[in-house]
Amino acid sequence: MSSPTILLAGIDEPGLNTIDVYRSHGGYDMARKALTEMTPQTVLDELLASGLRGRGGAGFPSGKKISFIPKANVDKYLVCNADESEPGTFKDRELMQKSPHMLIEGIIIGAYAAGANRSFIYIRGEYAEQADIIDAALVEATEAGFIGQNIMGSAFSLSLVLHRGAGAYICGEETGLLDSLEGKRGNPRLKPPFPANQGLYQGPTVINNVETLMTMPHILRMGGAEYAKIGTETSAGTKVVSVSGNVQRPGNYEIELGISSREIIYGLAGGPPEGREVKFWFPGGSSSPVLTKDDLDVPYDFDSLAKAKSMLGSGAIIVVDDTVPVVSVALKLAKFYKHESCGKCTPCREGTRWTVSMLERVDQGLATPMDLDIMASVQEQIIGNCLCVLGDAMAMPIGSMVAKFRDEFEAHIEAARAANPWLGDAEPDTDPVLIQGAAGA
Amino acid sequence: MPRPNPETAAFSVDGLEVNAPAGMMLADAAKFGDVEIPVFCYEPKLGPPVGACRMCLVEIEGIPKLQTACSTPVKDGMVVFTQTDRVKQAQEAVLEFLLINHPLDCPVCDAGGECPLQDITFGWGPGRSRFIEPKRHFVKPLALSPLIAIDRERCILCYRCVRFSQEVAEDYQLILEERGADTFVSTFDGHPYVAPFSGNIIELCPVGALTSQPYRFRARPWDIEGSGSVCTLCPAQCNVEFTVRDERVLRVMARDHHGVDDGWLCDKGRFAYQSVHVDQRVSHPLVRVDGELVPVSWDRALDEAAAALSAAGSDSAAIAGGETTNEEGWLLQELVRGGLGSANVDSRFGGMLPRELHAALHAPALQATVPDLEFAHAVLVLDCEPVDDAPILDLRIRKGVRRNGVKLAVATSRPSSLDANAAAVARFAPGAAEAFCAALNAAVGGHGVVAELAAAAGAQAADVLALAQLLTGAGDARSAGGSQGRADIVIVYGERLTHGARGEHAARALLNVAGHVVSAGHDGSGLLELPAGTNGRGLREAGMLPNAGPGLAEIGPAGLDTGAIGAAAAAGALSALYLLHVDPLRDLPSRRTWRTALQRADSVIAHAEFLSEGLWEHATVVFPSESYAEKEGTITHPDGRVQRLRPAIARPDAVRAEWNVLADLSRRLGHDPGILSGPMASAKLFEAVPFYAGITLDELGGRGLRWPARPASAAWPAADGGPFGLESPQQAPTPNGSLRLGRFRSIWAAAEVELSPALKFLRAHQRAELSPADARRLGLAHGDRVTVGSNGSRVSATVALRSGVPEGTVFLEQGIAQDSASELDDDLVEVSPA
Repeated sequence: MSSPTILLAGIDEPGLNTIDVYRSHGGYDMARKALTEMTPQTVLDELLASGLRGRGGAGFPSGKKISFIPKANVDKYLVCNADESEPGTFKDRELMQKSPHMLIEGIIIGAYAAGANRSFIYIRGEYAEQADIIDAALVEATEAGFIGQNIMGSAFSLSLVLHRGAGAYICGEETGLLDSLEGKRGNPRLKPPFPANQGLYQGPTVINNVETLMTMPHILRMGGAEYAKIGTETSAGTKVVSVSGNVQRPGNYEIELGISSREIIYGLAGGPPEGREVKFWFPGGSSSPVLTKDDLDVPYDFDSLAKAKSMLGSGAIIVVDDTVPVVSVALKLAKFYKHESCGKCTPCREGTRWTVSMLERVDQGLATPMDLDIMASVQEQIIGNCLCVLGDAMAMPIGSMVAKFRDEFEAHIEAARAANPWLGDAEPDTDPVLIQGAAGA
Repeated sequence: MPRPNPETAAFSVDGLEVNAPAGMMLADAAKFGDVEIPVFCYEPKLGPPVGACRMCLVEIEGIPKLQTACSTPVKDGMVVFTQTDRVKQAQEAVLEFLLINHPLDCPVCDAGGECPLQDITFGWGPGRSRFIEPKRHFVKPLALSPLIAIDRERCILCYRCVRFSQEVAEDYQLILEERGADTFVSTFDGHPYVAPFSGNIIELCPVGALTSQPYRFRARPWDIEGSGSVCTLCPAQCNVEFTVRDERVLRVMARDHHGVDDGWLCDKGRFAYQSVHVDQRVSHPLVRVDGELVPVSWDRALDEAAAALSAAGSDSAAIAGGETTNEEGWLLQELVRGGLGSANVDSRFGGMLPRELHAALHAPALQATVPDLEFAHAVLVLDCEPVDDAPILDLRIRKGVRRNGVKLAVATSRPSSLDANAAAVARFAPGAAEAFCAALNAAVGGHGVVAELAAAAGAQAADVLALAQLLTGAGDARSAGGSQGRADIVIVYGERLTHGARGEHAARALLNVAGHVVSAGHDGSGLLELPAGTNGRGLREAGMLPNAGPGLAEIGPAGLDTGAIGAAAAAGALSALYLLHVDPLRDLPSRRTWRTALQRADSVIAHAEFLSEGLWEHATVVFPSESYAEKEGTITHPDGRVQRLRPAIARPDAVRAEWNVLADLSRRLGHDPGILSGPMASAKLFEAVPFYAGITLDELGGRGLRWPARPASAAWPAADGGPFGLESPQQAPTPNGSLRLGRFRSIWAAAEVELSPALKFLRAHQRAELSPADARRLGLAHGDRVTVGSNGSRVSATVALRSGVPEGTVFLEQGIAQDSASELDDDLVEVSPA
């Protein structure tokens, strides 16, 4: 493919996770350039010019996020969100595992632009191997003087702490992450105040995804304006997409934003196995509303996917082919979100549980088409009414599946009912022992 | 600290133009336009909103998503809709979600009829549910503690109780376990939730998930009446509402008063109402016949008392306990001074303080109020333990520190529960308050050498200096903020500071400190005394002092103070003792002296609700007392707020109003106070005390009023407020192998606690609080039984190790029935294994 590779270029080089190999490729030069030749404002200007949008899920312009940090002389924080928990997403894992120093360099640049002197990497507990690799890299970077007091002779000092989460999806939500980092139960906070004003320990905090931060050294190397030329006008740059599901070559691919989705699914990932067809696909992780095979030509960028009533999210494409029942995908998904709901706000806590119960009945043939209406309405009652977006993350894909595959849901109910010996058209049950309370009647 | 903003914002809600204080949350501000926005998790008393229940979603013009009204501060020009289809759908959605797990067992639920979930469902709910799956189930009800039952099925997970425990009481006991739909409220490891303020979560719960064990199934809302009064179990004087059914108090709830209690109650105030209806109540007048107390008619009891008192004449003395009302105190001193010609009246238990020092310490210009604790720049807690002495103020101090950044300094002998919140902590030897105040005075700019004085107090000079730095440095923060003058400093001190032979010197040193750090006459700063008894302040103002009359008026030669009364009676110099709501063996120091005194006095006339040891054995006449739920009259809060007690229930059996008993007795002694009703007694009191002049019961109403803020406060006697030249203070005793004895009275040391079935489990037992170092030296471990004492008097106790106790000191409880520290007279004691 002719896509420019930035993040994944040369990433498979053995030993890149060590500082010597990383530096032999110009590693930390951009951090040095920022700290010694640029002011925080000029770094920020480059980031703003690059048009970089957050790679974690929400797609908020990264430069703008940093520019919200007050200039006041208070303790400021930069937190790297490495709690990559969205099902289908595994880009940060590869990036951190293979090029941890690129992340550290990105954190130095981001923290410098934000004026933060304390930074944290919050990594999900399941990424034990990656955490060990970052730990080792952190030791190297500290010894080399890239982390600590007066980095590279500049006036800028930065501490960096790696924190391992305990395995909760909600801790990938930025305010839940902050609470967890502070040692509290990881529940999302009410916004406002936004983290830019009152984040970690009530101080101004900028929270960025791993991939976002790792892009920053490259933006300084190329120049913001040059970087902005890649991709589309509103979705600049490249994106690492994680393709999984029913494809022949699953894995991480770096693409230029704006190429057609078909090119990613069929061109890069090889499409579904021989003889099968794409039934539907999640364009941006399991929380994005599903798109069907009719949407394969939608350009893969933030705005085009939004226009198609879905989202780019974390850039995780999950492909489902025609051998997989939509009900089983919906049930699996709903169970995940029910399990991960923190329980703080009502619609998400109760709505996810209710949805799972209804889907279980659908799966067992114990539902009626009216239940599908209730299910769709429950999803609408969740969307937009919650404290954070976890509730929406279940409601949007489930809602889209019910809307787009209503026939299949109904057929599934009928088939399951027929196959269920107690419910189907087969002889009605006459064994009194199995009807509770009817024994001896 | 900035107080709430008085500016208003004009906004529109459902088309109505409304004005409300700017910055107020929409959920509250809408009420100014008579628009109600339903809420569950929102409770401003718990701190910043959390937006968890999502019940209060409203539409705001210009914002695409629905917003939670509980967390949106109102702004000028805001246009809010609470009735649109979108809002309606969201409200119905949230209620449908909340009800899917709620058992709807309202007919058997204690909250039924007074349940916000019920009310809001009727008002805003969808009317029917589409949920047909099984609800979640828990074992229920479980005892969260002996006082509180938890029904987790009814819980709607609004988090109010958990937030109370973590952010208001700061006991950190309640937690949420599990996640998502499986979340439930619990305690760590399932330990019972036992804490001084646990009962508040019952009132906070918006459903019937947390219910009061003593109230469970006792009444339905339509069986009961609410009756507002004031709790007289401690000097905090919280405003309460008694729940009454058929002349029985079944429950006590908070009656939110920002100037007094901030809407919280301690567990003693919430559950000790049970003692009103126990069999141990004295129900009839009693007279001792052949060594036994027997019930008699009122006439006989009054005649016997009158005969004994007139026989004793000026060889009589009277002591009033803290629960005495102002009117009763005034009547008692009239009776003794006017009817018997004796000046021996007292309501303080720790010796006489010169009249002008009373006047200086409580001068209106130097008086801090309860809300000042919340907004001051710095608060000094001096020689008192708020959670024991006036529990609800403990919460107020925590609130100031947590929410308004108040700098807290703690200077006590015994480790305080506020230590963890304090920016500076100093410890001094028990009884060395005088030396400590002198050291602090030196450190804030007065005379003296800090190091020497600190050593005399058994304190670290560095701690004293750090404390002084905090009190004087708080002013810099203020001037940086642009305001003028000194910082707002509040000094909360215990009455015990002015007790004892050196009490007056300690008071002068305290006034010197105040002269350096408190701006007199400036609202928001000053002194706040925590009296030893509930109405300590009111009784002094009503004239229950040996050296001052009503209104702190000058009188002739001073009478005997409490300690001297005991000593004189023990020496056989007094023949009649009048004890109004006080049992010397339980409530007063020097128990051994008092045992002799009660034995030798010819007659001991007492008003009592319960017959405690001293009265049971020695009283010759006992008049039954009213409980606080039956009382009528006024009491005065430590910050000068005169509050009105109103009877919630009828007096049981033969119990009479005590103003009536005192007036009747006075009449029989030939000194008719001319009082025929409760309100007449109050009117006489307001006449007799110049700075209460013009107060009427109507004006007091349900909220009381602070007399220092009224014009009549000009009648407060003028006094020299210092600076005083200080004598060199008394040195704290050197332990030399033995231990210094510190005494304290716990929140649970009260007859009401011992007699309330629900609270009994909390009643205080003697325990010796030791430092781990001393325990090691003495070969003692936590939980060991020991005896503590000196010179032949000893009490038994259980060792309790506390890391904060200074080495060389042991603390014992007083105010308890058995093994009270008042049994020991010396300041140095030996601790030995039992």
